[in-house]
Amino acid sequence: MSNPPDPLKPNLAETTGPHVQVVETEDAVERRAKEAYFTASQSQLIWARFKKQRAAMVAAIVLVVLVLSGLFAPFLSPYDPTIAGRDRDYTNGAPQLPQFCDKNGCSARPFIHAVERERSIATNFRWVTKVNEDKRHYLRFFVEGDRYELFGFIPMDTHLFGVEDAKIHIFGTDEDGQDIFSRTLHAIWTSMQVGTIGVFIAFVLALIIGGISGYYGGWIDGVIQMITDAVRTVPAIPLFMAVAAFMPPEMTAEARFFYISMILGLIGWPTLARRVRTHLLTERNQEYVLAAQLCGASSGHVIRKHLLPSFTSYIIVDLVISFPYMVLSETALSFIGLGLKDPVSSLGVMLQKATSADVLLNYQWYFIPVLFFIALVMAFVFVGDGLRDAADPYSDNSR
Amino acid sequence: MLNFSRFVVTRAIMAMITLIIVSLVVFSLMELVPGDCAERYLAFKNTQGSGISVADIETERKRLGLDQPFLTRWGLWIVNAFQGEFGDSCILRVNIAQLLGSKFWLSLGICLASLTLAYAIAIPVGILSAATNNPYLNNGLRLFSYLGLAMPNFLLALIIMLISTVWFGETLTGLFSKEYRDAPWDWDKFVDLLKHAWLPVFILGWSATAFALQTVRALMSDEIGKLYVTAAAARGVHGRRLLWRYPARHALGPIINSLGFDLNRIFNELPIVALILVMTDAGALLIEALARSNDQQLAGAIIFLLTASIVTLNFLTDVLLAVIDPRVRKSILR
Repeated sequence: MSNPPDPLKPNLAETTGPHVQVVETEDAVERRAKEAYFTASQSQLIWARFKKQRAAMVAAIVLVVLVLSGLFAPFLSPYDPTIAGRDRDYTNGAPQLPQFCDKNGCSARPFIHAVERERSIATNFRWVTKVNEDKRHYLRFFVEGDRYELFGFIPMDTHLFGVEDAKIHIFGTDEDGQDIFSRTLHAIWTSMQVGTIGVFIAFVLALIIGGISGYYGGWIDGVIQMITDAVRTVPAIPLFMAVAAFMPPEMTAEARFFYISMILGLIGWPTLARRVRTHLLTERNQEYVLAAQLCGASSGHVIRKHLLPSFTSYIIVDLVISFPYMVLSETALSFIGLGLKDPVSSLGVMLQKATSADVLLNYQWYFIPVLFFIALVMAFVFVGDGLRDAADPYSDNSR
Repeated sequence: MLNFSRFVVTRAIMAMITLIIVSLVVFSLMELVPGDCAERYLAFKNTQGSGISVADIETERKRLGLDQPFLTRWGLWIVNAFQGEFGDSCILRVNIAQLLGSKFWLSLGICLASLTLAYAIAIPVGILSAATNNPYLNNGLRLFSYLGLAMPNFLLALIIMLISTVWFGETLTGLFSKEYRDAPWDWDKFVDLLKHAWLPVFILGWSATAFALQTVRALMSDEIGKLYVTAAAARGVHGRRLLWRYPARHALGPIINSLGFDLNRIFNELPIVALILVMTDAGALLIEALARSNDQQLAGAIIFLLTASIVTLNFLTDVLLAVIDPRVRKSILR
């Protein structure tokens, strides 16, 4: 069946004459590029400049992958990250990497060797985990396992991968037998959530405080700046520690989670507030503001339509850059035992166990999550830096 | 000269006001911790077998002056704090000034050493990297700076501990060898301290160096393209002399200015690094007071002292800058 011919788009292949190819002149290409450049919105320009930076693009991809793996953590991780998903028979177990070959030959489906616990006179009557190289557990995809709720409301029990009749721990297990891989994925998500809430609270506070300070100036600015400076002068982590010390130890994990996020937000505002204030102080004397005022614009209109848009890109960049600090502060706080506590997985919580000499000497896989967090924070820093370069309209000149 | 002393006095008063606001914040935080010193101390006594009644708590409260209104107690606390007197610790029942004593100076010394190390590396390397167009050097430094941001000091400390235990089998912990731990200060103890202190100094200096490097580089790149540098180069000044005498002088102003906040950043990490490296300094005491024993008096004193050092450093750097750069003087006296 052939469609009726469209008179606007003649099918050149079906015409009997010589093949015609539509070729644009170089001039036209250049003109179109220029036109696109001059009519592009600010976000399109930033995106165009951002795409040129290879490192930032790679970091952005890494970041997206990490965020997605955090979002789909319950599906991607084979087991429940809490104590409920523990493997009693494989505590402090080494990472099990799926392999294709062993001394008994190869297989197309990757497998892991079975582990058995035994206690005999040879092991001094202690339980010892031994790898049985003759027994294989094959890797399976989309297996059914622990129940979970994807995005918090879709009940499911399918996990991306698993093995039959046994458990697989690709990052090993901790002293309770909890799967470190599952915990890492959930920890990424936890940290992102804490960071997002913290950044959001800090952002709102900074805009309000910095906005008032910068817009009114004078003695209001003076008083607010003194308070801001005082908060900025106290070292943040000792201050976090002091605030976190009020949390009663019997608090539930969820309440603790929100409390920590709030603390991070309540202490994290001064830097951004100061920047907003400085920016408003200089911007409010600019000619375009004066021009708008002369045209009879109200001050509310000037702030909303002229002052704020003049540095939204800056604020967004600042948010991206301050995000890793929130994550790191949470990690540090949890690490010393003042932040999140055990049923919740976060890097700090997981690292608490890693300071003992026993772990350092024998169970180095406790450190695998650290690599993920360094990757996460680095990705954020690179993306933030790339965005900063891209958002700065003068950055082209210096290159 | 009169102008200058007026600047110093104004700046000193501003520093005092900052300190007073900080002390209010710290004191309020201490007050917000559930339960007060009297209860805590008596509860501690209780575990040791002596029964406690409500009346006992009241007398203890009166003895500690906890029945006074908030503002009176804050006033008393701040007046005493400025004299270096912080009362007794809630739990340990020892005078805080004595308990902290040399430990605080030890911590401060370690932090200042880290700061010095950071700047000793960052200033020449930063200037160099801004001056050359070597892409390998620049990208390497960029990566290092990002790593310094992304790997907080406590992770670095943990990783160093991991490597040192796995490869060398010994842990590089503590600040003193066993025989010097409680010994009075003398030369040998000092040497022993140096043998142990390089690791915390290095770890704490790590991100400080990365930060300082980025700042130095950015400031230098801004200055280096300016006309006066070109003019100086045209007059025949070149090489190291050109860099140091013209752009570096201007670029270093903001860096001196930010010394206080760099110290702040280092203090930030001090308690956690102290915890990992099993140091016995004020940072470790702070963790102990906040996370373990909930000793608000001690914690408040340490946070106050930390902040006071930062405010002092900020004040000193501002005065130093004013000596170098008259524009700073004007900006405050305006």
